[in-house]
Amino acid sequence: MNRTIYRILLCVLAALVWCGSALAANGDPTLQLARTTLKITTFYNGTTLKASGTLPADSDVLLHVIGAKKNVALKVKGKVAGLLWMNKTDVELENAPAVYMVYTPERVGKDLLLSQLEGNAKALAKDVAMLGIGYKALVKDIAIKPETADKKFVFGEYVKLMEKAEVYGVYNGSVEYGPIKGGKKSFTVTLTIPPKMNAGKYLVEAITIKDGKADGRASEELTIELSGLPRMIASLSYEHSLLFGIMAVAIAVATGLLIGVLFKGGGGAH
Amino acid sequence: MFHMYLPIAGNSVNIFLILGLGGFVGLLSGIFGVGGGFLMTPLLMMFGIPPTVAAASDSNQIVGASTSGTLAHMRLGNVDIPMGVMLLIGGIAGGTVGVQVIKLLKAMGNADFLIAITYVIMLGGVGGYMFWESLQGMRHDNGLPIEKKKPRPKEEDEKKSFVQSLPFQYKFEKSGCKISMLLPLGFGVLVGILAAIMGVGGGFIMVPVMVYLLRMPMHVVVGTSLFQILFTCVNVTIMQAWSNHTVDFVLAVLLLLGSTIGAQVGTAVSKRLNADQLKIMLASLVLLVCVKMMAGLLMTPSIMVALKGGH
Repeated sequence: MNRTIYRILLCVLAALVWCGSALAANGDPTLQLARTTLKITTFYNGTTLKASGTLPADSDVLLHVIGAKKNVALKVKGKVAGLLWMNKTDVELENAPAVYMVYTPERVGKDLLLSQLEGNAKALAKDVAMLGIGYKALVKDIAIKPETADKKFVFGEYVKLMEKAEVYGVYNGSVEYGPIKGGKKSFTVTLTIPPKMNAGKYLVEAITIKDGKADGRASEELTIELSGLPRMIASLSYEHSLLFGIMAVAIAVATGLLIGVLFKGGGGAH
Repeated sequence: MFHMYLPIAGNSVNIFLILGLGGFVGLLSGIFGVGGGFLMTPLLMMFGIPPTVAAASDSNQIVGASTSGTLAHMRLGNVDIPMGVMLLIGGIAGGTVGVQVIKLLKAMGNADFLIAITYVIMLGGVGGYMFWESLQGMRHDNGLPIEKKKPRPKEEDEKKSFVQSLPFQYKFEKSGCKISMLLPLGFGVLVGILAAIMGVGGGFIMVPVMVYLLRMPMHVVVGTSLFQILFTCVNVTIMQAWSNHTVDFVLAVLLLLGSTIGAQVGTAVSKRLNADQLKIMLASLVLLVCVKMMAGLLMTPSIMVALKGGH
């Protein structure tokens, strides 16, 4: 009886090991974030976050960080009276993520520098776009209103605007690999979290690539939340807005009066 | 440690940078009696603050700077309160009308173009006239021949009799003039309309109006202008916080700390300068801003899109 149970347990164990290796064989990476919640406190100026995991030894991995998708109202500049540059035309990008960052290893990275939507598209770049990574892939998911507007041009300029705010970016060569062990290798990447990445939920996704095709995915949710004084002020501003306005004025007047009294003896007023 | 997170602006800023910006604008407030809104808002935008938050938070700091500056000028006897109240009432009425004018312009299309042109014309015209006029005054003081054409005696008499025939005559003691209350009310309305169109507090328009049209002495102009701006910005701050949630308290406090000290220094500096020197410095500043605006309009922008809802 004991021998039978022992044999059954061995079979179950072997089956589990076989399933595990089968899963690994289909290329799914593993992904861990050093922290899944970041707090914005009074002296917050952005931060970095370590992401790590494992992937099959013969694959590459890319990571992207995506914020909530929203509709963005833009003004496109144009010349008025043939002379003056002004905000001229209204357009709207639908489904544009608030944050979009791509992290690539050095070897694959150069082909993924897709911030220029114009220019020669390389075969690999097209393939990569088909994997759903990079700006060229992103632009496919975005709609524009009015439909007659030049989506490629507007989105390209929008990317420049977002890159200036540091919430869009392609970080080539930022993924580092560890040694190969048992058919797998580890990876680490330091994610940039700029101060303009506001409170909210973000998706961090790792995608393994083999032979120019996506082989597996793993994701983690990152939460950024206000804490302490910033949270208190934001809450007051939105939930008790009239009181907040009166308070802001009262403090301004009090500060002005205090400085006026302090300088009474000399310096400014006399 | 040197950065502070601004929860409404959704960004972090260097504390010393913001203190310095506030101090600089406060200095201008104390010297010229302008709130500095036409400078501070673009400067804040340059450092990554969203335009609507920059404008609203700027109003908040102007309250503090103007309180400090008004108090300082009151001690010097430079605030004509009755004049200030008349200008303020006119300004609020004009601002309300100005908002409706903007709505009409937007419905007609090309409101942005008209606003930009108004800005450039006002800045260029006001700055240019002030510069020329104060230059003439300085040449006269130095005994140099001036190019000013004296108005004909008949013209002066006609102007004087028209002004004196207006009803509600009042002696404004500090300004040293007896004029109809309708004059500061009317000019206040005009400034309020222009301020609403241009999105500024109106100081750099109000100061030339007080100097050239109401003929007030320059030192009284500075104090009275600060008095009027104070109440205008109290109204704007509360309305912006209530309606739009765009007043960033942390940003406003940092700007305040710098600007209130700057205003005191500016008041001391203004006492050491004569009226023509003050005018020519303000004129130069206004012309500089005009040139910068024109350059922005004529040069090809590096990024061809902007988020809607900006300044």
